Amino acid sequence: MIAALREAVVRGGLLTRIGLALFAACFFVYLFGPLVLMGITAFNSSAFPRVSPWECFSVEWFEVLRNDQTLVEGLRNSVFIGIGVVALAVPIGLAGALMLMQINQRVRPWYYTVVISPILVPGVVLGISTLVFWDRVGIMFNASHETFFYNGFFLTIVGQATFISAYSMLVFISRLQRFDPALEEAALDLGATHVQTFRKVLLPFLKPAIASAAVLAFLASFENYNTTVFTIVSESTLTTVLASKVRYGINPSISALAVIIVVVTLLGAAVFEVVKRREQKAARESEKVARGEVPARARRKPLLLDPAMFLILAVFVAGLGTVYFAGTVGVEECKAAVKEEKQRVAQERVRKLQQQRMFQRAAPVAGEGEGEGGSAPAAPQAQREDSSGFESIFAPQNLKEQVESGPPAAGTESFQGIFAPENLESQSGAGQ
Amino acid sequence: MALVRHLQNFFRRNGAALSVFLLGAVGFWILFMIVLPQLFMVDFSFRVNLPPPKWGTPEHHYTLEHYRYMVYGSAGSESSFNVIDLQVFFKTIVAAIFVTIFDVALCYPIAYYLAQVAHGGWARLMVLSLIVPFWVNEILRAFAFRIIFGASGVLNKGLMALGIIDEPYDFIRENFALYAGLGYAFILLMIFPIYNAIESLDKNQIEAARDLGSPWWRIHWRVVIPFAKPGITSGCTMVFMLTAGALAAPQILGGPSSLWFTQIIYQAFNQAGNWSRGSAYAIILLASCIALVLLLMRAFKVRLGEIAR
Repeated sequence: MIAALREAVVRGGLLTRIGLALFAACFFVYLFGPLVLMGITAFNSSAFPRVSPWECFSVEWFEVLRNDQTLVEGLRNSVFIGIGVVALAVPIGLAGALMLMQINQRVRPWYYTVVISPILVPGVVLGISTLVFWDRVGIMFNASHETFFYNGFFLTIVGQATFISAYSMLVFISRLQRFDPALEEAALDLGATHVQTFRKVLLPFLKPAIASAAVLAFLASFENYNTTVFTIVSESTLTTVLASKVRYGINPSISALAVIIVVVTLLGAAVFEVVKRREQKAARESEKVARGEVPARARRKPLLLDPAMFLILAVFVAGLGTVYFAGTVGVEECKAAVKEEKQRVAQERVRKLQQQRMFQRAAPVAGEGEGEGGSAPAAPQAQREDSSGFESIFAPQNLKEQVESGPPAAGTESFQGIFAPENLESQSGAGQ
Repeated sequence: MALVRHLQNFFRRNGAALSVFLLGAVGFWILFMIVLPQLFMVDFSFRVNLPPPKWGTPEHHYTLEHYRYMVYGSAGSESSFNVIDLQVFFKTIVAAIFVTIFDVALCYPIAYYLAQVAHGGWARLMVLSLIVPFWVNEILRAFAFRIIFGASGVLNKGLMALGIIDEPYDFIRENFALYAGLGYAFILLMIFPIYNAIESLDKNQIEAARDLGSPWWRIHWRVVIPFAKPGITSGCTMVFMLTAGALAAPQILGGPSSLWFTQIIYQAFNQAGNWSRGSAYAIILLASCIALVLLLMRAFKVRLGEIAR
């Protein structure tokens, strides 16, 4: 056993593995830490997004988010622009990929460099060039400012599609590399027209790539900022609204939005995984059926009745219910308590500050040579300075009552107990 | 003539409808979305700054003033160089280089782990968890770093609780938040190219090197890294270009007194209303980034064709 361990260490395998695993752990903390912390702030009732001090578990920021008109409008515009970008970028990307397959060998590297360049060009540059170009084209046609040349939606869709088309082209290229051209040739030989071949052979083969290119295009459009901020002109999208919100005053409703996005993403990923596994299973089964090992089943279970799918949905709904319940029930009481506590702390601080000032005024004259603890000699001085509040200051019974009755409303009255020894001690501790 | 023959061939192979679609879509893309806008921007950057109604009139003549301004500043200023803009420009480039180096160092081991060590469901889970954070908006990610690095943020609270510091440290002013956020922003674009490259490396090569007594670092230095060089280069290129051209993270995480070069461009457009100068600065940024990337690629002996696989 030990020998085996030493062997593993000597071969470097074990140490490397442990080192790598540790590194990976750190890496994933860097990856998820910020998002987790941001998620936590979404549920803290504190008006500033923070983890500590923790006030109350609440879902009020989701409510704030829902009622935020500018955000909702930005979201609507983002979805609209995203659909526009998908409609423009996916066909262009498909055409670009098909063109790459056919283009003359000598032109090919140049063509590839040109169409791939929008990915590397900074988004800021793309936004500016789109804005300037269509503006000048508009001038050439003497178009009025209501025409699409100056429309934020049009400019943004075109500007984003410039580089998103290149993304979707990459998706199509990787799929096309696995396409067998013999299929196309066979269809043509059997008398299909070009359009028929395209529609019945190539497009079905590319269907998964079209779906993933569309999803990718929508997401890329949805979260784009650098290009959009120049081309959007007077409209707004979710990202531009968010950016201005984050820059000028922030509250946790932005964290709440992040929570929603993360949850939707996780849900989507889980569903995607289940669907993929089902497909793999179905493929294995149909293989078995083809070999005649098992009889064909009449129908597959619908997706919603799949146990894994059911589990995911159940966990999601239960989690949502729990969070909603915990975040709405008893929040008002908790917030009232927190507010009270805050007021108490604030008063305490004011009291201490005033006490301190008082003490400083009193100490330098009377406390000289005596040090910090000179309580008794300080008394005459205090009496001279203020005759009303400190009259019965040295009456023991009075003192005790004062201290125990706790802090009354901040004011001169509360300073009656100032020279009680125990008070002083806490004082000098706080003062230093 | 050759062109006509090619076109005829093209039409015969694809049929009329498909040919028109292909040529139309690709033509629109290349002409009206890529090439002409860039050319117009270049043209615009060489013209004097005038209010929009006067564009295209004879008054709107060519000039070098915006490029001159970037180097020498306005004629009336005291210093002979435009110190502010030049400083920001070089700071942006240098910082982007360091962010890229940081990302390589961070992502190479992970990509190696994913491609060679992890397998099965575990590897799939890791890939999935790599992707999930990047579905969250860029701005929200920057916002998360603000929560961490703010004056009353998690980091300051934690350090104060541990007694390491007494007063909140201004991470945002010192640009810590900015660099952490920028390093985070494009991790995915560094990992996947490297991962793709390493994944196609035959495990036997590593085994052979190990059996011949090579220590782990030499295996990486002599076997894995040379093999993954195209992937590393393309990851670095993307991360560097995107970092130098980032706008959201600097706007949100940048300190009050420090600017990123894209912010100067943004100001020229949206605050100064000087589109020509903004265009000129954008071209300067683009040209210097491309020049730097090509230079480094030559230094590391990588050809452009190798990256674009």
